[in-house]
Amino acid sequence: MPENGGYMIAAYLAVAVLYGGYALWLWKRGRP
Amino acid sequence: MPSAVRGALIIASKDLLLEFRSRTAFLSSLAFTALVLAIFNFARDPTVTSAADLAPGILWITFCFAGLLGLNRAFALERENRTLEGLLLSPVSRSSIYLGKAFANLVFVGLVEAVALPLFALFFAVPVTPVLGPLLGVMALATVGFVAVGTLLSAIAVSTRFAELMLPVLMLPFLVPPITSAVQVTSRLFAGRPFSELAPWLKLLGGYDIVVVVTALLIFEFTLDE
Amino acid sequence: MTAIDVAQRSVRRSGAFALGSLALMAAVYVRALAFTPPEATQGQAQKIFYIHAPSAWVAFLAFGIVGICSILYLALKEPRLDRLAASAAEVGVVFTTGVLITGPIWARPIWGWWWTWDARLTSTLFLWFIYFGYLVLRGAVQEPGQRARFAAVLGILGALLVPFIHVTVYLFRTLHPMPVVLNVNGPQLPPAMLTTLLFSFSAFTLFFATLLWQRYAQATLTEARAAAQAEADDRA
Repeated sequence: MPENGGYMIAAYLAVAVLYGGYALWLWKRGRP
Repeated sequence: MPSAVRGALIIASKDLLLEFRSRTAFLSSLAFTALVLAIFNFARDPTVTSAADLAPGILWITFCFAGLLGLNRAFALERENRTLEGLLLSPVSRSSIYLGKAFANLVFVGLVEAVALPLFALFFAVPVTPVLGPLLGVMALATVGFVAVGTLLSAIAVSTRFAELMLPVLMLPFLVPPITSAVQVTSRLFAGRPFSELAPWLKLLGGYDIVVVVTALLIFEFTLDE
Repeated sequence: MTAIDVAQRSVRRSGAFALGSLALMAAVYVRALAFTPPEATQGQAQKIFYIHAPSAWVAFLAFGIVGICSILYLALKEPRLDRLAASAAEVGVVFTTGVLITGPIWARPIWGWWWTWDARLTSTLFLWFIYFGYLVLRGAVQEPGQRARFAAVLGILGALLVPFIHVTVYLFRTLHPMPVVLNVNGPQLPPAMLTTLLFSFSAFTLFFATLLWQRYAQATLTEARAAAQAEADDRA
């Protein structure tokens, strides 16, 4: 099996930051 | 002649008259197109890449730039002469306005392309005459699609602050089908490929044209104020 | 209850649901990373698929909503449809960005380079640009009625032409096959992987729905406040 777990981590991390970040930003926007 | 078409022709001729009274925009568009073609000659390493390989792409990117310029000049006309407001007060139908503007754009861009084509053949030593008929055909098809989308989006962009920038940003994704098809057909025409290789791209181009023209005719009125 | 109160309650409720669905997404992460076996030929990187494919589904679903709301808006002139379209576009562009990030990260180890003009990724690239144009256009038009009309026209054009862009890209691509380092069209997905994928699709769809609801609720609240302000200004 090729050793490419680093890519997996990078992608999952990027998505967590992107979607989680957006979700949090949106949630904060809704409670001034 | 149905009144919608007559109205469109009146609008188109007024637009073109305004345009060619000064001729500045047209001549500048011609000069721009010629310059782009000339610069493309230097956009490669001649020891590695032949002009023939790049020629179809060069032709259509050049036409694309010329087309965008042609659509943009309409903004300046619009701002100076407020033609749209005048049109809305007159008893022409909304479809006539679209058809008129689209036709004027088509004439303008078509003329620029007509001058650019022989220049292109000259600069890049491309045997255009053997396939002139089909080439003009694909040029007509692609330009119709281009102008159809462009006239609709121009009506939107003209109301924004950076219209000349907004138009390409909105328009370019929608130009992927016609430009790709046009380049693929042109390339195969120059290479003397059989019609069966052109057919799928021509079908795509034709289908695209039908969809954009019909859609534009249906929803253009929503780009105008009530 | 005033319109503002109703809108505020909607914002709060949708916010709660959105945070809840975020927890569901975390569960997807745990399931995919810790409880799903990796694929033998592709390695761990294959697991990117569990967040890449559902993101693409949501990206196009959101755009479908933009398209449908656009058509309905021009027919019915109902501002709520315009608000829903705008909300769907904002949420949609976020997920489209996700596709364009996970795609290349997956492509690099599997196909040898970050960007190979794969037909679906390329279509998604143009989808991103259409979203971008839509959002920039909305920002560039001040008058709400005009903004809604213009956006709807663009939304309809986009919805109709995205299929053409995809056919173009696909036709172009089948004539120019790219070298493949690892063949991803292997055997069918074994049950454990299929379960993870379906779970992920469901969670993503729910997550999208709650984000959309939340965004829409906030837009409604903003609108209600603006209307109340305008009324107060009129009376003064």
